Amino acid sequence: MENFEYFEPQTVKEAVVLLGQYKRGAKLLAGGTDLMVGMKEGFVKPRYLINLKTIKELDKIVYSKKEGLSVGSLTTWTDILSSRAILQYYPILREAASLIGCYQIRNRGTIGGNICHASPSADSAPALMVYGAQCVISGSRRERVIPIEEIFCGVQKTSLKPEEILTGFRIPTPDPKSKGCYLKFSPRKAMDLPIVGVAALIWTANGTFEGVRIALGAVAPTPIRARRAEKFLVGKPINDESIRKAAEEAVNESKPITDWRASREYRLGLVRELTCQAITQSLQKDIP
Amino acid sequence: MKRSKIKIKVNGEWHELTVPNQKTLLEVIRGDLHLTGTKRMCDAGECGSCTVIMDGRAVNSCIVLAVEANGKKITTIEGLSQIGKLHLIQEEFVAKGAIQCGFCTPGMIMTAKALLDQNPAPTEHEVKTAIAGNLCRCTGYIRIVNAILSAAERLRGIQP
Repeated sequence: MENFEYFEPQTVKEAVVLLGQYKRGAKLLAGGTDLMVGMKEGFVKPRYLINLKTIKELDKIVYSKKEGLSVGSLTTWTDILSSRAILQYYPILREAASLIGCYQIRNRGTIGGNICHASPSADSAPALMVYGAQCVISGSRRERVIPIEEIFCGVQKTSLKPEEILTGFRIPTPDPKSKGCYLKFSPRKAMDLPIVGVAALIWTANGTFEGVRIALGAVAPTPIRARRAEKFLVGKPINDESIRKAAEEAVNESKPITDWRASREYRLGLVRELTCQAITQSLQKDIP
Repeated sequence: MKRSKIKIKVNGEWHELTVPNQKTLLEVIRGDLHLTGTKRMCDAGECGSCTVIMDGRAVNSCIVLAVEANGKKITTIEGLSQIGKLHLIQEEFVAKGAIQCGFCTPGMIMTAKALLDQNPAPTEHEVKTAIAGNLCRCTGYIRIVNAILSAAERLRGIQP
């Protein structure tokens, strides 16, 4: 690993100033579970490393029914897994967290780091998407808040400006009738990325789908919402046929690549199957 | 070369060092403190051989910078035995034959220690989940899981 200058800002403001000063030469360090590996392999060579873990207040989980959930960027998966509010109101996020890396990685890895790394296969992204999460971003100007979809620009690319920091997420309280799940297909149950990941959040009324949210991971340059599948399913009767047709829509809006993990065709097959399964399993769940 | 001064408490003893910023906690533990029980294998946070407990949590010391560990309490495998007597988890690994070449063992035991500190009565599934990031290429995992479950039982004061 190459040598770098190391900073421990105490406030977000200090970190923003450092970023503004060193711009492209600087990297933000959160859990380091991706960054450290990239630095060791020489893909990433920061001249200035800014450790965000020294900033207090960035690893807080706060919930209120009215405001919803607020999760700081530096919150680790282990902290997410031990939050009662997340267990009760955001079980899909908990499910995704439990499937990330392994015990040691979950102890270090953070939710903000997972999103800022902007991997199309980030496990937390589909879960955050179906809950309609908003990203809170600090920079030299005013704080701005954007829907999570808008933070992803491409493979490992975010819409953050050079001096901006993702400080956390705001997630509204889901519809009280809603239920859902996250399905991850990977050769290993731990320490692996999804070949395809599907999150579904649904609520029903009088035998029809009233609300539907579906998000897909590892099927496009960024995690995506399957909006056509969602739109198709709303108002449709709850039966196998409508679920199958919705899954077909999800297949049509996926643009996976072939890589060493899986072929494009295999991924499309997984989107079809996992979307069906995610909706069906969601229907069978108890309302949290 | 940019360096930082750090102070870390390893196995109950404070150490003050000046380290190059890019040095990992693993390199400090093995190279500077000569605690070579902690193993370096994949060196990329994949295999768990370098697991130590930092402020109560199991971490891969190969992907933690030494500067990040400043002010923190660290326990390595050397910190488990007391006055020449093995820790119960170590005893159970020996008793159950959960060791073959031994290279993954320190990491495996540190993960088990962190788990049992937080969850004194884990299920078999919880043990397997906890050690999913610790690779063993010799024994398979059955004896390791049995050793951890049996150590948990003994630590709870119930004789097997």
